[in-house]
Amino acid sequence: MIRDQETLIARGLHKSLGKGRARLHVLRGLDLTVRRGEFLAVMGPSGCGKSTLLGVLGLITPPDEGTVTINGLAITDGEVARTALRRRIGFVFQRFNLLGVLSAADNVAISLRVRGLKADGAADELFEALGVAHVSRRKPAEMSVGEQQRVAVVRAMAHRPELLLADEPTGNLDSKNAASLLELFRQINHRRRQTIVMITHSAEAAGYADRIVHMKDGRILDQ
Amino acid sequence: MSYLPLANILHHKLRSALSAMGIAIGICMLVTLSGLSRGSLYEIADRWEEVDAELIIYPEIWGRNLTTLSGSALPDRYGDKIAAEHSRLIERVVPVFLWPIRLAGQDQTVVGVDPQNFNMLVGGRRLRQGRLFDPDGRFAGWLENTLLAPAGEDQEIVEITKDQLADTDHNGLEMVIDTRLATAGGYRLGQKVFTANHHFTIVGIVPAGGLARAFMPRRTAQFLFGNGDITKSTLMFIKLAGGGEPAAAARKIKRPGTAVMQVDQYRGMLKDKFGIMFTYVDAVNVVAMVIAFLFIMITLYTMVLQRTREIAILKSSGASNFFLIRQVWAESMLLTAAGAAAGVALSFLAGWGIEACRPLLTVTITWWWIAVAAAAALLGAAASSLYPAWRATRIDMLEALRFE
Repeated sequence: MIRDQETLIARGLHKSLGKGRARLHVLRGLDLTVRRGEFLAVMGPSGCGKSTLLGVLGLITPPDEGTVTINGLAITDGEVARTALRRRIGFVFQRFNLLGVLSAADNVAISLRVRGLKADGAADELFEALGVAHVSRRKPAEMSVGEQQRVAVVRAMAHRPELLLADEPTGNLDSKNAASLLELFRQINHRRRQTIVMITHSAEAAGYADRIVHMKDGRILDQ
Repeated sequence: MSYLPLANILHHKLRSALSAMGIAIGICMLVTLSGLSRGSLYEIADRWEEVDAELIIYPEIWGRNLTTLSGSALPDRYGDKIAAEHSRLIERVVPVFLWPIRLAGQDQTVVGVDPQNFNMLVGGRRLRQGRLFDPDGRFAGWLENTLLAPAGEDQEIVEITKDQLADTDHNGLEMVIDTRLATAGGYRLGQKVFTANHHFTIVGIVPAGGLARAFMPRRTAQFLFGNGDITKSTLMFIKLAGGGEPAAAARKIKRPGTAVMQVDQYRGMLKDKFGIMFTYVDAVNVVAMVIAFLFIMITLYTMVLQRTREIAILKSSGASNFFLIRQVWAESMLLTAAGAAAGVALSFLAGWGIEACRPLLTVTITWWWIAVAAAAALLGAAASSLYPAWRATRIDMLEALRFE
């Protein structure tokens, strides 16, 4: 039964990657529940399936087995429903994944346009809050790694997503910028009751979250 | 530059320029070849339509083909006869003698015409330089007296030498050419040109647009190319009296053994005769366009393969398949629009170049063919973007974004 306060429910997720002999069973019957407004950190060793989990939760790849429900909508409800759900999610990728031919501001603008939204000033506030307003007209190649990551965060949050998924968001930031980003996550989480699922290796980063779960061998250990 | 397709085009300048150039060459070929084939053919029709007459009479045996008609074909007295028979219908009958000669390195049809009828054949154009051949009819009179006078007992065979023809008293070997032939051959007023085994003097240059590019006295043409028989011409133009309806007049004038064609039907006859040439040209154009759009398709396909990450990012943000297809399609359209614009500009340049290098060719670039090229470009762009666009929607996001 879906309870109102639960934003995300994953049940019995299985996912294998690769083909033939190289095929790897990454997620092995994973269960996860995230409550509305919760800031959850997922920790675990490299290769345990954290990023694959985020890919499944972000509807970037379908699970081989199992179900994921986001705010009552199951991701198996068809491509149209999946596309609609993707628009309600914000994703901060480990490798930023900014569009190289567009400026920072245009990266955010196209993300809004894809979702049928127009810029309403939220992006400008985020650019200011994350200290990247000065690079908004620059293309990714003209920014530092840290600036690119912060622009990626602006893009993920500009449409006020119902669920923010972040894959090692501080992995490429110095400690000062990492702290300010995590502080921003916490503020947004508190002020807007923004649901956040963050993958991190850093115990310090995980410390900003309301709850920490650990993954091992494709399963959540302490759900 | 928030418009992604344009940003992508500007980001990959060389590749975009080459793709657009591929389209430009295809469009340029389409517009220029169509303009050249149709222009050169219809320019002949335009010139025939400049003749101030409504009907053409010629031997029926030629069927509906005047394009190769030349030499002695109709007795001149036939013209006098129908003029007398239909005096209320016909204002004027103008016999002309056509013969192929070689000038400016290519075949030309020289028109033999009596000086008093010259204006009718060139649509009233005034000579730009020089004078008309045999202006006072001295040559015609001399030749008629020599050849048509009743033969005496001691004068059964009449011999006329080249020197007599070119004698300044007679002025028989004179020619008027049009400005395009003068440009193509580099001919000047007063220059002697050797053609049809005789040296002709260019005595006048008329603006292009009249029936032919070269004119000479009808008597000269009859004598030289009709085996000395100056009683026959090739065809006759008929100028109807005011208000005469050409089709009805043609039916009235037609007699067994002769055919009557309306001057305004000449264009249709040319089309029927040489329309197959358009088929060949159009086939070449289609091939050129297909190659151009295969080029665009390959470019777009390569673009999709190279930008899987970009497409996956858009998809992960909730971009619908329609949005992705529209991005690829828009890029195709932008490249094609740029290529089409460049192609049309190139066509005008090519047309100018062709006419400058080969003044006797005509390249007529019409809005119709520009519209055809634009429509073909539009359809081609849409079609060639279909497969790459479909591939864009099938991209595996996980693979493209390189998880794990």
